[in-house]
Amino acid sequence: MSQTLQAAARFDAETTPLVEMRGIEKHFGGVVAVDGVSLDLRPGEVVGVLGHNGAGKSCLMRILSGAMAPSRGEIRIAGDVVEMGSPQDARAHGVETIYQTLALADHLDAPSNLFLGRELKTRFGNLDDKRMLAEARKVLATLNPNFTNLKDPVSSLSGGQRQVIAIARAIYFDVKILIMDEPTAALGPSETAMVADLIRKLRAQGIGIFLVSHDMHDVFDLCDRVVVMNKGKLVGAHDIDEVHKDDILSLIIKGELPTDWRPRNLGELEAAR
Amino acid sequence: MANISQPSQGAWTRMLPNSAAAFHRISALLTLAILVIAFSFASPAFLSVNNTLTILLQTSVIGLLGIGMTMVIITGGIDLSVGSVLALSGTVTGMMVKAGVPVVPAMMLGVCMGAACGLFNGFVVTKMKITPFVATLGMMLIARGAALQLTGAAPISQLGEAFGVLGNGALFRVVEMGDNGFPRVIFPGIPYPAILLVVVAIVASYMLRRRAIGRHIYATGSNEEAARLSGVLVDRTKLIAYTLSGALAGVAGNVLMSRLITAQPSEGVMYELDAIAAAVIGGASLMGGVGGISGTMIGAFIIGVLRNGLNMGGVSSFIQQIVIGFVVIGAVYIDQLRNRR
Repeated sequence: MSQTLQAAARFDAETTPLVEMRGIEKHFGGVVAVDGVSLDLRPGEVVGVLGHNGAGKSCLMRILSGAMAPSRGEIRIAGDVVEMGSPQDARAHGVETIYQTLALADHLDAPSNLFLGRELKTRFGNLDDKRMLAEARKVLATLNPNFTNLKDPVSSLSGGQRQVIAIARAIYFDVKILIMDEPTAALGPSETAMVADLIRKLRAQGIGIFLVSHDMHDVFDLCDRVVVMNKGKLVGAHDIDEVHKDDILSLIIKGELPTDWRPRNLGELEAAR
Repeated sequence: MANISQPSQGAWTRMLPNSAAAFHRISALLTLAILVIAFSFASPAFLSVNNTLTILLQTSVIGLLGIGMTMVIITGGIDLSVGSVLALSGTVTGMMVKAGVPVVPAMMLGVCMGAACGLFNGFVVTKMKITPFVATLGMMLIARGAALQLTGAAPISQLGEAFGVLGNGALFRVVEMGDNGFPRVIFPGIPYPAILLVVVAIVASYMLRRRAIGRHIYATGSNEEAARLSGVLVDRTKLIAYTLSGALAGVAGNVLMSRLITAQPSEGVMYELDAIAAAVIGGASLMGGVGGISGTMIGAFIIGVLRNGLNMGGVSSFIQQIVIGFVVIGAVYIDQLRNRR
């Protein structure tokens, strides 16, 4: 079991991981939501994070995004120990998050949401709405060419458009580590394909991505590595080409691999040896 | 059946202006215009220069309170303490003047007292996590009690002429000595309180629309968790809103007491409700995230014009209460109509 947790053989051991989480714990009173999780993320790596609802994956991601303080454990970003006391801290370290709830202010328009908390300002400290609108138009057009209603409150937009704003907000700024919590849950097929393209593009740029998803197809299509949480613990971490969907399901449901499990790519591994 | 009714509903909502807030403002402005026209037919004196200035004067206190209230309401909160804070601030100023402090610094101290009450409200709401309704209800009792205790519930009078300038003075006042030896007022001038209201309204509007703090006030009321996750300092934003509301209650208190040239610790009872009514008539939503200064100004003037016009028509103040009550309900009903689409 323990050697499987140190998978990720495809990545050079020499590169400093973007993120190193060590012994992360989160307690709510007597309830242990995250129980001693250690997890790495390397540049240009997409790691799928799976588990039941309440398995602790969202909690772990919220800790990394600064929305929640861990009870114990440390986080290193590019080798340095950091304090993630607030979402601002996380952003300052290049950690951007796309929340499942999207975290949009419904009464504000798309540019206001995109720049919320880091508004562009003129020399006199006024809001530079013109420039924010122009920038928003640019970045939204790259994600969805049909996005034209930039001045409407986002409450009046479709689920897909709202998702696009949340994604745009994460990638517009200097992102190094991207956390995506169910990014395709609200999307139709073409928009899902767009997100998949985007993930590949970001990976090629050396950005590390945690992809929290229930969609096995997405996970196997996009991820380099998959980690599974069960009852707050990390119960499995595998390169995507050494497991089958059934192996992952077993990890999610029972917290362990099937007893007869052999790496899917055993032949390749032995040939390489 | 549903299939038949739905398209017609769509046609109706498509006729509404694009921005829901603009729609509400237009309907409120229309209401105000209808009121003015109706009252001027009912009483020829209604549209006179003198009466117009009186309305300006009467509305300035509710307007000042309404501006602060609007900011708090946009954050998703409410400030029930402004009427009491108004009384405490005016009383503090009056006591200072009585103790020999010059009028201007005394008034500044009074406004600071209001700001301190607002800051305390903000502290209770953000740090002690007490709902705004309860927090400001507490302050409503505290400030009123303090004002009454400090003065022994007695008004402070004989505060001197200088104390009355803010409330009774006017800009561009033209007075001519008549032949009979009595002064004749050619133009009564623009009352200082009205000028103060306009200045405060412009500054507040600029703050809400053009500054980051304004955007954060809207974002906080719209979706507090989203604002927090986006890096908005939600607690600081709320603290600022409550402090400004308290400070503006202090300003309003000084204007009112100055107009009376008496510091009255029992003044301003239920003014908070007028301020809330002004904001709500102007389109602010108690759910947060919606509202604006221009709307609140229209709301304040609807209340002011109604009071004044009904007074001139000899309608009792009890009936006025009833009418204003219905106006508030009507305004919120319109608000719901636009939200239904």
